Amino acid sequence: MTRDARAGMVAATVIIVPVVVGLLYTASASVGLTGLDAHGLSTARLARVSADSQVWRAIAWTLSTATAGALLALTAAVTLASVVRGTSIGDRAARWLAIVPLPIPHVVAASLGLLVLGESGLLARWTAAAGWVSIARHLPAITLDPWGIGFTLTMAWKETPFLAIVAFAVLATRGAQLDEVARTLGAGRWATFRRVTLPVLVRALAPATIAATVFIAGSFEAPIILGPSDPLPLPVLIWERYGDLDLARRGDAYVLILIAFAIGIVGAAAVSWARRWDLDAETR
Amino acid sequence: MRPIGRAALLTVLAVSAVGPLVLLGLTSVAADWFAPAPWPTTFTADAWRSLAGGGRLVGAVVTSALVAATVGVLAALIAVPIGHAIARLTGWGRRLGLAALYLPVATPPIALGLGLQFAFLRAGLGGTTLGVALAHLVPAASFVGIYFAGVFRATDPRLEDEARSLGAAPGQVWRRVILPPLAREIADGVALGALISWAQVPLSLVIGGGLVHTLPLEVYSYLRSGESRYGAVASLLLIVPPVMILAAGRLAATRVSRYFAPALTGI
Repeated sequence: MTRDARAGMVAATVIIVPVVVGLLYTASASVGLTGLDAHGLSTARLARVSADSQVWRAIAWTLSTATAGALLALTAAVTLASVVRGTSIGDRAARWLAIVPLPIPHVVAASLGLLVLGESGLLARWTAAAGWVSIARHLPAITLDPWGIGFTLTMAWKETPFLAIVAFAVLATRGAQLDEVARTLGAGRWATFRRVTLPVLVRALAPATIAATVFIAGSFEAPIILGPSDPLPLPVLIWERYGDLDLARRGDAYVLILIAFAIGIVGAAAVSWARRWDLDAETR
Repeated sequence: MRPIGRAALLTVLAVSAVGPLVLLGLTSVAADWFAPAPWPTTFTADAWRSLAGGGRLVGAVVTSALVAATVGVLAALIAVPIGHAIARLTGWGRRLGLAALYLPVATPPIALGLGLQFAFLRAGLGGTTLGVALAHLVPAASFVGIYFAGVFRATDPRLEDEARSLGAAPGQVWRRVILPPLAREIADGVALGALISWAQVPLSLVIGGGLVHTLPLEVYSYLRSGESRYGAVASLLLIVPPVMILAAGRLAATRVSRYFAPALTGI
């Protein structure tokens, strides 16, 4: 191993030490060795949690809303990048406007989601003012709703600038030449988009889309503000269990934390894997 | 796309970029904005006045700014050598190194916070501002590390090799060759790390234990208690600085994207 490779290993170790410490503590608490109400090695916590249907529904809710939100953001980013890719002032302004919401934190995004989509949000007020719905029978609730529609839409809006910024960079560095080749070979506009631009973008955006999925799934403040109380989103369920008055249930929270760690690990592995997939496409 | 479609797209983007500021501004001064009124009709500046009077929001801004500045600088200090090392690796080494960098970013912060809570309490860091900063540093350092892995992939390693073969010591190579052309990238890295800290809620909540009041925590608690006017003021304080920085230094955003894209896509 070269000196640099060793340095890389050391560096990687430094950065993951806190995660490993947290993971080990959580894992040992999940089997009753540490944490509140620890009674020595047992699978009681694992058994209780895996028998709890609320837990499975929480996981399903969190993963499905996160996937839907990231896919919506991907669609928006691909559309944006392929439409406003020129050098005209309009296109440059559009690219700039698209990334302005990038640094808006989750907690503010969630509050905006409530202000716009909530039961007395702008959407409800304006549709009522326009006479489309009577306020007595207003729009179906899309925040705090079991399907997480308001949450999904808000998170899609929040993640679009992140995916768009990567999409702009991809098209700027490799899209133009490929498109030109396709056009020279006689492909029409639509064929060029469908056979060249779209595959290039989707492959290149795969890692960022997976990252966005993991960010949405891991968000705590957004689902606690916009999400339903039944099913509880996974990060919210963790927090509730951890604050439970019953010490045994509080210990069970560690199994849920372990599940959240697993989502992070699978997510990180998936991002690396998807990155390689894109590289293969490049060198083929 | 037809001009009308293009104009519609620009309008949507403008609303998405400017709308949040307008809506939060309006909410922060709306006195009685009961549904279904489409617009507020009576206004009050009480939430802003309480800010001018030096209320708890001012303290939260100061705490958040201090924590973010500390985290930004420390994150860049850790991330520069890590990004450099990983960018110079090849094959499996780099893949593993990058996967390690993605891990703290991908781990849900609530899990990271609760998993580390015991260790932080044992170290006497629970409920302290320093503890909160160190907790923020975990995802921030890896975010900035990913960024610098991209930065160093774009720099030419032969320059460093040349300096080394001419007899420069490792410290000299860093000081004279590697770092000088990267001043702007390092500034971006510090800003990026500070931004991660500035927005953080779950880690502050868990490690701060309700004793460290950061700005996002204030937004969170105002929202939870339904005080929308104060929540809007706090939200504006939270988003205006980063949006201004991004808008003013538009180039910073393009630089960040240029280096993030390689780390994420392998361009």
